[in-house]
Amino acid sequence: MTNIKYSGVRESKPGRINDLGTTSKEAEENFKKGCLKRADRSFAQGLQCQQINSMAALMSLEDSVFISHSPQGCVGCSIMAVDMFRVGQAHRGIKNIKNPRIIVTNIDQKSVVFGGEEKLRQSVKKAVDRYHPKLIFIYASCASGIIGDDIDAIAADLQKEYDSLIVPIHCEGFKSKVCASGFDAAFLSINKYILKHEKQTKEKGLVNLFAPTTVSYADQREMERMLSLINVKVNYIPFYSSLEKIKKIPAAEASTSICKVFADEFMKTLWEDYEIPYSHTVMPIGIRNTDKWFRGIAKVLGKEKEVEGIIAKEHERIEPLVARIRERLEGKRVFICGGTGRSFAAAALIDDFGMKLVGLETPTYDEDAQVDIEYLNGIHKDFVVDIANMQPFEQVNLVNKLKPDAFIGVPEWAAKLGIPTTHVLDGKRPTMGYDGLLYLGNKIADQLENPGFNVKLSKHVKLPYKDSWYEEDAFKYIEGGN
Amino acid sequence: MSQILENPRGGCVLAGICSVLEAIDKVCPVYHAGPGCCMQTTAAEQGQSGHKSACFVSGVSVPSSNMLEREVVFGGTGKLKTTIQGAVDIIDADAYFVLTGCTAGIIGDDIVSVTEEFQSRGYHVYPIETPGFARDSNLGYEVVWNTMIDQVIEENVPKDDKLVNIFGIVPYHDPFWSGNLEEIERILDRLGLKVNTFFTKHRGMEDIRKCSGAALNIIVNPWLFKEPAKKFEDKFGVPSIRVSGLPIGATDTTKFIWQVAEALKLDRNHVEKIIAQEEDYVYNYLAQAVGVVSWKRFAVVADANNAVGLTRYLANDFSFTPVLVIISEPIFREEDKQRIIEQISDMEYAKPPKVLFTADQYEINEAILNEEEEITLVLGSSNEREVGLIKDVQFILTSFPMNERLVFNRTYAGYRGSLTFTEDLYDNL
Repeated sequence: MTNIKYSGVRESKPGRINDLGTTSKEAEENFKKGCLKRADRSFAQGLQCQQINSMAALMSLEDSVFISHSPQGCVGCSIMAVDMFRVGQAHRGIKNIKNPRIIVTNIDQKSVVFGGEEKLRQSVKKAVDRYHPKLIFIYASCASGIIGDDIDAIAADLQKEYDSLIVPIHCEGFKSKVCASGFDAAFLSINKYILKHEKQTKEKGLVNLFAPTTVSYADQREMERMLSLINVKVNYIPFYSSLEKIKKIPAAEASTSICKVFADEFMKTLWEDYEIPYSHTVMPIGIRNTDKWFRGIAKVLGKEKEVEGIIAKEHERIEPLVARIRERLEGKRVFICGGTGRSFAAAALIDDFGMKLVGLETPTYDEDAQVDIEYLNGIHKDFVVDIANMQPFEQVNLVNKLKPDAFIGVPEWAAKLGIPTTHVLDGKRPTMGYDGLLYLGNKIADQLENPGFNVKLSKHVKLPYKDSWYEEDAFKYIEGGN
Repeated sequence: MSQILENPRGGCVLAGICSVLEAIDKVCPVYHAGPGCCMQTTAAEQGQSGHKSACFVSGVSVPSSNMLEREVVFGGTGKLKTTIQGAVDIIDADAYFVLTGCTAGIIGDDIVSVTEEFQSRGYHVYPIETPGFARDSNLGYEVVWNTMIDQVIEENVPKDDKLVNIFGIVPYHDPFWSGNLEEIERILDRLGLKVNTFFTKHRGMEDIRKCSGAALNIIVNPWLFKEPAKKFEDKFGVPSIRVSGLPIGATDTTKFIWQVAEALKLDRNHVEKIIAQEEDYVYNYLAQAVGVVSWKRFAVVADANNAVGLTRYLANDFSFTPVLVIISEPIFREEDKQRIIEQISDMEYAKPPKVLFTADQYEINEAILNEEEEITLVLGSSNEREVGLIKDVQFILTSFPMNERLVFNRTYAGYRGSLTFTEDLYDNL
């Protein structure tokens, strides 16, 4: 078993599916019976590709150059990570805010015919000449993959010439429908090219805390505050981190992650290769999830008793405040739309406030999702489940039929239907832990009580869909799976 | 053909094509491309253009065949057919344009026969076979218009001697495109003209189909639209004039008006009257804040169109000192470079600044940091904020990519826009 290496493609895991329209009860039962099969959509809207995630995951690393071996368009989404990097620096009190160094090889017609090797070599040379960085990441793309450029061999060859550590990452977009595969691709390369299976002396109390790019500085501080209560020293990686901190990974006593689909596979690898135990639970949003996340890491460290005392104290502090928010939100019907980590976290959060779940969109269904769905089925009545990487056309159809009191997710389309909207994703403000919960709760309550903008917007703006679409079955384009 | 670039500005040609199409009312692109192309290309252009994105469809609402390994190996035309079918069934668009990503381009999927099938069933589905790797987003603007000329714009449309088409201001690639077009339309409207901006006021496919009835094409850009302009004249007999830089401020806007007036032989008295009123409007404000904005020696980093406009306004109308102008988009033809240099060198009183052509961030930063002459103001994109901070001088966000600013209809163009630009120059430090 141990000889079968994980490829980094999330679909390769048995029992994981990406295209499904169902209800929560059916999903739970069919998963148990092993009846959920891979399907596809005959019509779909754009997805998020894995290269976007691979780039975003690392873009805030110090002293690094990021080379995208692709045409110019493939660094489009890096602007989101670039913005987070710049804002993150401002939040961390840095005055001279830097740009990340991104170089695009700009694969063109000539490269498509003759290969892009020369452009890649020149790009690496530029990176070294300009910045002498500690790290150079080379990202593959659909184009580089299809024309067959061997970025591993080129990187290995260039490594002989340069001191900068050259790390190729296989994040070709066409390999996966699940963008979180891109996180795995990045971590596979970090293990192969940086950590290299070299074991280190353990550092007492050191814990790897894996954080993706969407975690705000406020959330980082809250996570660090909570962990300091159980005497943990945090190695916060790879966000706003460095080669030195990455190299420290094997010295940790344990690992945990802020997001369910970030470094979850990597933490397994760290256990196999470096014997670092880990806690893989949930995203710490809301009381239940924060408790679960906190208990998870405490258990790995043998601090179950200590953590119970802390949790009890935190509850005492925040429960009266949560009760006040609950009075404002009790009974509201909610539709949730988001990435794997945040969507399930939001679903757990709304229970703190006594809200009712009527629909949930999340990108994949697997063992992890099953655990959450079982928990949610215990609280809510049967609700609609849309397993989709984005696909807003399905969600507008569902939202229009279900008429929820609130929509949690990227607001654009629901806002244009006049539904009050709010979100639990905010990379610039608090959302996590016990303190984040209060900020988030007040935000949700305030936004839902004052929906004037969306109400008025919907009277002036129409979504691009035909009226007839709203009468159709939202899942009519999903083929196979049964 | 494409250069290696650090911190590139904007996306591939697919990004350019898509962004321009989405700025037309009720037009729906359909991607025959990899799984991330809709998001990547939208983020590359609209996502860096002052946080405004197309209202109809954009990003992850764009239909896409999301080509995965199976399509790479076996071809993706089957997937494309069902994708187009879904698009015409559920999206209420006036036209659908099928675009190709790198994957479709490299494996050579035949999108034309697929679109022909839909056309034969009466759908307005048009193919654009220009895969992402063909070049950068500027080419996308020209590809869209070449497509319109070849496939959409009607021949034998009755001529309207008051109708003009505006080209050269690229939606989203110029963050102020909406406001720029609105100000140009406002001015030309005062001259008694009807203006096809194509991208504002819900203008759509019908305006495009009939735009061959125009008396004149006005290209507001020092280099873009050369080939489409020629095709336009050959096929529809509509001549073009080129305004070699965005007119900002009274001097260049008045010059722009005369250029149009002469081409269309407008009544001189009427034109003079309008110019006098507009100039009075500007100077009545400028007169109320004389000496308020402190004098600066400036560097500009922008696309050619904005670089010419911003530099000429600041030097000719506002008496700031131009030091360095960096044209931060790839310009391929020598004649275009010369035209741009001429515009920036032809100053009324000021000594002409140095002009540099590079789209590479490292080279841009080095040029500004190593400039021997003093610079006290940098006008540039979000990418130049860093070099502004290092130099510890005033920085104003004026060009693409633009991230720390929300832009709806803001403009620096024309008479009124120059006042907004001057407001933004104010610095109380």
